[in-house]
Order: sequence, then structure tokens, then C-alpha cells
Amino acid sequence: MNVTRVKKLARLLAELLVLAAIYLLGCQLALWLAWPIPGGVLGLALLLLVFALGWVKPAALQRGAGLLMAEMLLFFIPALMSLLDYGGLLRHEGWRILVVIAVSTLLVMLVTAFTVEWVCRWRLAHEK
Amino acid sequence: MRSEWMPLFWLVFTLAAYVLSRWLYRRSGRYLVSPLILVPVLLLVVAVPLHTAYSEYAQNTHWLMALLGPVTVAFAVPIWQQRQLLARHWSALLVGMLAGSVASIGSSFGLARLLALDSSITLSLLPRSITTPFAMPLAHDLGGVPELTAVFVMFTGVFGAMLGGILLKWLPLRSALARGALFGVGAHGAGVSRAREVGGEEGSVAGLVMVLTGLLNLFAAPLLMHIL
Repeated sequence: MNVTRVKKLARLLAELLVLAAIYLLGCQLALWLAWPIPGGVLGLALLLLVFALGWVKPAALQRGAGLLMAEMLLFFIPALMSLLDYGGLLRHEGWRILVVIAVSTLLVMLVTAFTVEWVCRWRLAHEK
Repeated sequence: MRSEWMPLFWLVFTLAAYVLSRWLYRRSGRYLVSPLILVPVLLLVVAVPLHTAYSEYAQNTHWLMALLGPVTVAFAVPIWQQRQLLARHWSALLVGMLAGSVASIGSSFGLARLLALDSSITLSLLPRSITTPFAMPLAHDLGGVPELTAVFVMFTGVFGAMLGGILLKWLPLRSALARGALFGVGAHGAGVSRAREVGGEEGSVAGLVMVLTGLLNLFAAPLLMHIL
């Protein structure tokens, strides 16, 4: 029981280390090629390539990847504390910023949903 | 408390508040105690009276943000797993993501100009519709403040997840694809969890579209900088 738990934990840790290593590799590659693409995105492309070539199955990294994506909130919460430095600015412009976010989000959702719906209906009508 | 202990205190406090709020959220299901809302509130309630500067707070907590890099790599897993969905519906999804991104960036810019917002705030608002690991580097490229963008991304998620639920009741959307894309493009991570509650297919579509929209926006950055 305890042994399997230790094994599971070691496995999870190994998956996280592999993902971190791919990220660092992506960063190195971006630096080396002098491409203006974030290292994480190059890492993502590398991992997709590895999956496509069949070297590694996605299932082999699923736990580590799942954990990172599930706890993503924790990773960006520290950035939210920048509010400490921008308190005055946001007090001054806060309501206008909220108006921009609210109206723009409404527009994005309407435009996206109706575009996708329209293309789906168009395809349905033309494929028959 | 001795000042040299404060950065360590903030790290421990952040982790503890996160674990607590995740536990509360799982038990109660109430959105107000979700980590997205409760943790920043708890942190601010303590930090503001102490006159804490962001640099002091970030001294030990910045490595948490560094983990957003490996999260980006991890996005390869859902993309690969949903490749059949993508192969079947790529045209509808691509058109939807493009239209949604143009609407997002265009309306954010237009409204910010209309309301005479500060230019660094305007630039930080542009990537607010995409997921944080992509939004922060994009804000950096555009000349905005990545940390402010994270704040705006959070507000977009909280508001968008709520708004999306209401819109679904009113809009005549027949395809699960459209319902999922609405959440994935409009409200990133918070929207994806809301889409999963609507249905399995909506959840998968939202998750896939969230990642792809982030990529699309990032690759459009040079073009965007040219226009601005």
C-alpha cells in the first residue's frame, strides 16, 4: 500500500520533471534560434512532435500535465498581487476598466458562438 | 514580525490560502470561495494594511509564476487527445477563434480609447481574453504590464463564466461546438470549468479552443504590434 503510494508519487514527480525539462529545452532553443516565441510555446510544439512521432504516448505524461493544468490558478495568483502597486491607478480608472472587460467579453462570446454556429449550419446544409 | 521573514511568510500564506480555499470550494461548490476570488482577497486583506509592496510579496512567490512555463508545455496533452475533434471541425473552430480574437482585441482597444484609459492599461487589456500562460508573454511583447494583464484575465474569467451561463439560456445555439467555443474563447480557464458542467463535449471543445486561441493570439502578436 505504502510502496505503491511512493511509486505513484515518484512517477508523478518524474512526469513533472520531464515537462519542466521540455520547457527549459524550449527556452534554450528560442534563445539559440533568436526566435521571438516564448520557450513554453516551443516546448509545446516539441512535445506535440514527440507525440506525433510516437516516441512517447500522451498517457505517459497525463498525470503530471493534469496536475499542472488543474493547479494553474496557484501559479498566477502571485501576479494578481501587482494590485498592491497599482492600487491608486486602478482606484482612479477601475470602473472604466470593468466596463471595458464586461462589454468586450459579451461581444467576444456573441461573435464566437454565432460564427461557429453559422459555419456548422452552413456545413450541415452543404454536405447533404 | 521581523522584516526579513516577510517574503517567506507571503509564500507560506499564499500556499495555505490556496489549499484552504480549494478545500472550501470543493466542499461547498460556492463560487465566492473559489481560489480565483478568495485567495487574492485574503492576501490583500493582510497586505494592504501592512503597506506591502509587490516586489516584497514577489520575492519568494515569483517562482510559482515561473511554473506557468511548464503549464504551457502541458497543453500539448489536451491538444493531442482532442486531435480527432480538431480534424473534424477545424474550419468552424478556426473561423470562430479568429472572429472572437478580433472582437476581443478590437473591442478592448476601441472601448479603452473611448473611455480615455491610460496607454499602459490599454495595452495590458488587449490579451485579457486568453489564458494566463499566453496572456502574460503577449502583454510583455505588446508593451503592456504582464502582471496587470493577469489581473484583467482574472476579472474576465470570473465575469465570463457567469455571463456565459446566462447567455446559453437565451441564445439559440444548436451545436455543442458553438456552446463550447463561447466559453473557451470568451472566458479561458474559468469558462472551461463552467463548460464542463454544461456537457462533456462542450468541455472538450472549450479546453481545446482555449489553448488554440492563446497560440493564435501569440502568433498574431507581430502583426498586432505593426497595426498599433
